Amino acid sequence: MLSVDLVLLVCGVYVALLFAIAFFVDRRTRQGRMQWLHSPVIYTLSISVYCTSWTFYGAVGSAARNGLEFITIYLGPTLVFIGWWWLLRKLVRIGRRNRITSIADLISSRFGKSPSLAVLVTLIALVATTPYIALQLQSMTRAYLLIAAESDGTKVAFWIAAGMAVFTILFGTRNLDANERHHGVVAAIAVEAIVKLFALIAVGIFAVYGIASGFGDVFNDVPAEVVYGGDEIFGPRWVALTFLSATAIICLPRQFQVTVVENIDERHLSTASWLFPLYLFGMSIFIMPIAIVGLKVLPATANPDLYVLTLPLSEGREELALLAFLGGFSSATSMVIVAAIAVSTMVSNHVVMPVALNFMSSGREVSGDVRSLLLTSRRISIAVVLGLGFLYFQLSGGSGALASIGLIAFTGVAQLLPSLIGGIFWRGATRSGALAGMIAGFLLWAYTLFLPSFEGAFLLSASVLQDGPWGIEFLRPQALFGLTELDPLVHALIWSVGINLVLFLTVSVASEPRSLERLQSALFVDVFRIDAGEAASFAPASASAEDLFILAQRILGTTPARRLFDEMVRTQGGTSGLPMPTEAVIARLERELAGSVGAASAHAMVARIASDRTVGMTELIDIADETQQLIETSRQLSEKSVELEQTAVQLRKANDRLRILDAQKDEFLTQVSHELRTPMTSIRSFSEILLGGDEVGDTDRRRFISIIQDESLRLTRLLDEILDISRLEAGTADLPTMPVDTNAAVNSVLASISGLIQDNGIRIDFEASLPAPVVNANPDRLHQVLVNLLSNAVKYNQAADPEIKIRLGQVATDVLIDVIDNGGGISQAEAEIVFQKFIRGERANVNQGAGLGLPISRAIMRTMGGDLTAEFTSDGRSFFRARLTAAGTGTTSAAAAMPAVQTTS
Amino acid sequence: MNTTPDHGPEQRRLRDRSAVVLLLGLLLLMPPLAIVFHLETKIAGIPFTLVYLFGVWAILILAAMRISRRMQDDEQSVEDRE
Repeated sequence: MLSVDLVLLVCGVYVALLFAIAFFVDRRTRQGRMQWLHSPVIYTLSISVYCTSWTFYGAVGSAARNGLEFITIYLGPTLVFIGWWWLLRKLVRIGRRNRITSIADLISSRFGKSPSLAVLVTLIALVATTPYIALQLQSMTRAYLLIAAESDGTKVAFWIAAGMAVFTILFGTRNLDANERHHGVVAAIAVEAIVKLFALIAVGIFAVYGIASGFGDVFNDVPAEVVYGGDEIFGPRWVALTFLSATAIICLPRQFQVTVVENIDERHLSTASWLFPLYLFGMSIFIMPIAIVGLKVLPATANPDLYVLTLPLSEGREELALLAFLGGFSSATSMVIVAAIAVSTMVSNHVVMPVALNFMSSGREVSGDVRSLLLTSRRISIAVVLGLGFLYFQLSGGSGALASIGLIAFTGVAQLLPSLIGGIFWRGATRSGALAGMIAGFLLWAYTLFLPSFEGAFLLSASVLQDGPWGIEFLRPQALFGLTELDPLVHALIWSVGINLVLFLTVSVASEPRSLERLQSALFVDVFRIDAGEAASFAPASASAEDLFILAQRILGTTPARRLFDEMVRTQGGTSGLPMPTEAVIARLERELAGSVGAASAHAMVARIASDRTVGMTELIDIADETQQLIETSRQLSEKSVELEQTAVQLRKANDRLRILDAQKDEFLTQVSHELRTPMTSIRSFSEILLGGDEVGDTDRRRFISIIQDESLRLTRLLDEILDISRLEAGTADLPTMPVDTNAAVNSVLASISGLIQDNGIRIDFEASLPAPVVNANPDRLHQVLVNLLSNAVKYNQAADPEIKIRLGQVATDVLIDVIDNGGGISQAEAEIVFQKFIRGERANVNQGAGLGLPISRAIMRTMGGDLTAEFTSDGRSFFRARLTAAGTGTTSAAAAMPAVQTTS
Repeated sequence: MNTTPDHGPEQRRLRDRSAVVLLLGLLLLMPPLAIVFHLETKIAGIPFTLVYLFGVWAILILAAMRISRRMQDDEQSVEDRE
């Protein structure tokens, strides 16, 4: 038989070894030389704290009692890790961003840093962890009793609990890390994970190949119901257990601790997504064979929960039994350490701290006093957690199957699931919803599963369990509201989680979130969309730097606080002293403190000294709108700048145009003065002569006077023309139009200048077209234009055989009157210039008019809705084309619509 | 600080893939499909359902492993580009 002393010695050495590892790792980490620890394998092994003595001892017992069902406990986590790792990644990201210290911290943070929610979650976690710790105590006690051949479980269990408490206190609360990370503990747990896997596989191989001869032999002659545990293996219980285990891997405080809080690098999750399921696979593969071999080989009185230990013992393999004991010891201790750390963190942060804060505010404030209070409260909490576990073990009689105790814990923490998942995926989830759901779920769980597990020894008497309170069958804890057909676990799960979920959803929808909740919900739900750093800077607050420093000192201790503040000073660009107490600094401090005392407490502490300005709803909406507004503003700005650019271009054009017009105006004035000056000069000189004396003869006098009169007439005509063109160009000239027969118009012009034509011996080529195009025009003005065109053609024609051709044509609604002469015409360059005022063609003589004929003609034509242009034939000859609108085409009012005519550009 | 983009196309595709693996796992391991594969035969002396469950489990792990590899490659390439 295995000696008790040897077992105790081995365990003592093993614990010492774990301490050494933890100590070594912690020291190396502080020196920054622990890179290999930052490996995904270590991370995955630490997650395997999921496999406790429930797995190591209890799974075999479960397999022996209920067949394959035990697998569900590992299928749930497998499914979560392979298929839903991005949920875990979101939790990790949120945890890192907000310095989350525990699942209670996460939920309370999400719902507006609510202290009441933190207390509730802590309570649920504490109560739900208690059976789980009791389970470890029970398995270790039984294993010890088996080896020591003793029977007094209470004493053994007490000493185990006490030993574990000391162990955990030494391990977990040696220092108070700002990030709440325990590198040493993680390393020790990783070692334990390897030990328990190795031990279980060793026992498994021994069972399959040492006792039986291979897998085939193991399952030989085994009735199907032993393997499958009854007919209905894939029934509601199968689904419920898978759901519960999947929930547990997310919600169990210790799983949250190792998966989220202790996570060093988000990317480790992607390795854990397959490595952790593989670990579970390895742990499970020999469970069934061990159970069946145990059933075959061992007497019926042997406890199936201890087959892992009794199989080697019965075969006399003491070294293997020792290894198995060590494996079970590893499973139990790792679970107890992590669970106690996780729960004690919650208790000290969310229950002790808020209470202590009230008392301490009046007392003296010493550097690090909060820190030492935290450590003390954590140590006491660990003792309390283990004490409760021991109490549960005592009350429940230490008789239940391990698996059923574990499932009670699983269902308890499942109450956190709706609020947790809802909180990080649904912005509409509110604090009231979470509170209502969790309280109802927790009470139902306690009533239908937790209290009945004492079998009448605690609060609920056996008669209440049997007949319902006050004999009301309707309210029987395990058949609530007459739901009798279900397995007690499925029954409790449906009621507690179902009501929890329904209340969470309905109350959330019905209630209005507070402003801080709204802010936190955005930060949590959209954690991947919000950049780090800006997260907490939303809360406006102000405080004196001294107060902030004192607070930091009290919680972090003097040196870390000094380091933090120096860093903040450097960030602000200073060199010494205290940082400016900006909102960013306050938010940063709150985040740092949250890493030690949890978000709700940190918020409360900072809010005490920071001026208590709560974030108003409008401010929050502003914050939310700010980004949107910024985007909008920048979009408008870019639009405006484009607009401005366009305006600038237009302005530049207009400016250029004004410059040209100004130059033209000056030129026009010069020209006008010049044109006026010539006749004025002759009028003046002749009048001077006439006034000068009597020697002027009568004939001369008459001639001089006629010259003066001619010049005056010319002057008047010039002034009339200038007036005319001004009116035309200003658009104020009123030219009533009427249908005019173009044939008649041309003939009348030809008749009126027939003298001029004959004098110059010019041949006119004009054939009246039939039917005559009728145009909209003012007959007098049209006459004026045509006279001008024809007389120009006559005057400037220097050909030997002068000929003028007049052509009428119609293109669509335009009637064209072309005046073509063979006199040499004008050049392309002159084509526009001739329409400018006071410009005469190259071939014009000085005294052949003021050069206003063509500009006036064009202005008239344009005012009548037509145009006058210089055109060129294909062989380069120039001719003038007058264009008018045919009568009756609906553009008779074109004259009125025509804007002021612009001569040139 | 790890700044892995969450919304890269490759990341999203891998996320979708693992969701499909999850659905497949649920389908194969939960009733009613699990009942369909609940046969009375034995493979190499081992009850079929036991082999089936562990087989599906192994396949799921392999699938998750492939996705994880792809994800690490993608993250590596993202880092290289940065």
